[in-house]
Amino acid sequence: MKEIMSNNNTTNISQARKAVEQLKMEAYMDRIKVSKAAADLLAYCDAHIGEDPLIIPVPASENPFREKKFFCTIL
Amino acid sequence: MCDQTFLAIVFGPCDKCSKEKPLRAIYIKSEQLNYCSLCVEMMATEGLHENETLASLKSEADSLKGRLEEERAKLHDVELHQVAERVEALGQFVMKTRRTLKGHGNKVLCMDWCKDKRRIVSSSQDGKVIVWDSFTTNKEHAVTMPCTWVMACAYAPSGCAIACGGLDNKCSVYPLTFDKNENMAAKKKSVAMHTNYLSACSFTNSDMQILTASGDGTCALWDVESGQLLQSFHGHGADVLCLDLAPSETGNTFVSGGCDKKAMVWDMRSGQCIQSFETHESDINSVRYYPSGDAFASGSDDATCRLYDLRADREVAIYSKESIIFGASSVDFSLSGRLLFGGYNDYTINVWDVLKGSRVSILFGHENRVSTLRVSPDGTAFCSGSWDHTLRIWA
Repeated sequence: MKEIMSNNNTTNISQARKAVEQLKMEAYMDRIKVSKAAADLLAYCDAHIGEDPLIIPVPASENPFREKKFFCTIL
Repeated sequence: MCDQTFLAIVFGPCDKCSKEKPLRAIYIKSEQLNYCSLCVEMMATEGLHENETLASLKSEADSLKGRLEEERAKLHDVELHQVAERVEALGQFVMKTRRTLKGHGNKVLCMDWCKDKRRIVSSSQDGKVIVWDSFTTNKEHAVTMPCTWVMACAYAPSGCAIACGGLDNKCSVYPLTFDKNENMAAKKKSVAMHTNYLSACSFTNSDMQILTASGDGTCALWDVESGQLLQSFHGHGADVLCLDLAPSETGNTFVSGGCDKKAMVWDMRSGQCIQSFETHESDINSVRYYPSGDAFASGSDDATCRLYDLRADREVAIYSKESIIFGASSVDFSLSGRLLFGGYNDYTINVWDVLKGSRVSILFGHENRVSTLRVSPDGTAFCSGSWDHTLRIWA
């Protein structure tokens, strides 16, 4: 089955051009070193680990899932 | 909150047509120009220039790919787990099922938390979407969708509506009402229309816009009120299975993962793909941003979870074990980002230390695949949904 050659060519060309432009943009992107990125991830963790209820468990009375209370409403 | 970690989209006059639009930088003969998206399209469809053939464009693409790899490798000076050696190891974890939500008649496929940290919406294969109160395990609302396999559901930020969709190729929004006389299904609003199944949906920072991902290979941003398509995102070579919005309040990016093994980061305003990562060996089932917005994790059918840093533009950690051979269906971070929870197809949930790369705990309980997993908005618990028809809340 032969497609119309010019249409097929134009689509292929535009796809190839777009792929090239996308790759150019990605290749020229500003990157930082992994050591800096890792240091930032560590810093974020350190800063927030105290507030993380799954790591530093809050007292059972404050965690609605751990406490044994049953919820009732007075009708 | 997180800084802008990506290419800033410039707004201004296009170098070609002089109209004020969002611009992208393109390079013609090593010169950088700023074109609006329409002019980029037109330029791409022009006939071949002198000395240019399809083959030369292809080889240019290949050499750029090589250059991209080189640039990424240059900055790879250390591994994350090496930097994390000085960090204290985590203690023993005691995480148990605290609530079991029973009521679905078939496989649970997706769930989402409400911002009130209490309510949960879940959807299942039999077409039912249920809103639960996770403290009491009561069902507050239930809707039957006209289709089966409701693969995506989301809670609106206001808590007043839910969105869901699946094999009907649409995303529908249902306002939640406590009025017993009102039929929820009557107020349904069809928002998104795709040409294949809906795999994921998420409200943006407001109730007014929804982001969807579909088996037709595209993601799209819709206006809820009018149902209008605001932006579409093309680039995946196969079904898109998951998406996650960047956590910043001003966030304008999201990440998507698909069956083409690629994770792509998109700018919501211009529709452009900013970064893409292709290191997984199989379909990416789930992507989730790190709480700071500078990185994201992905879970895949290749039985690994991986962490990608956006500013270093590369994969920085792999979470895998030889004993884990089943795919990860769903991942989420704890509040601080120190823990990564992964739900797997071998019925277990593995808890990983994000920084050190080691597994800290394995949670048993489900009797079939874990299909969805989300940590609550305040981090006090996480909920997992499974093909065993139940949802479990762990804390």
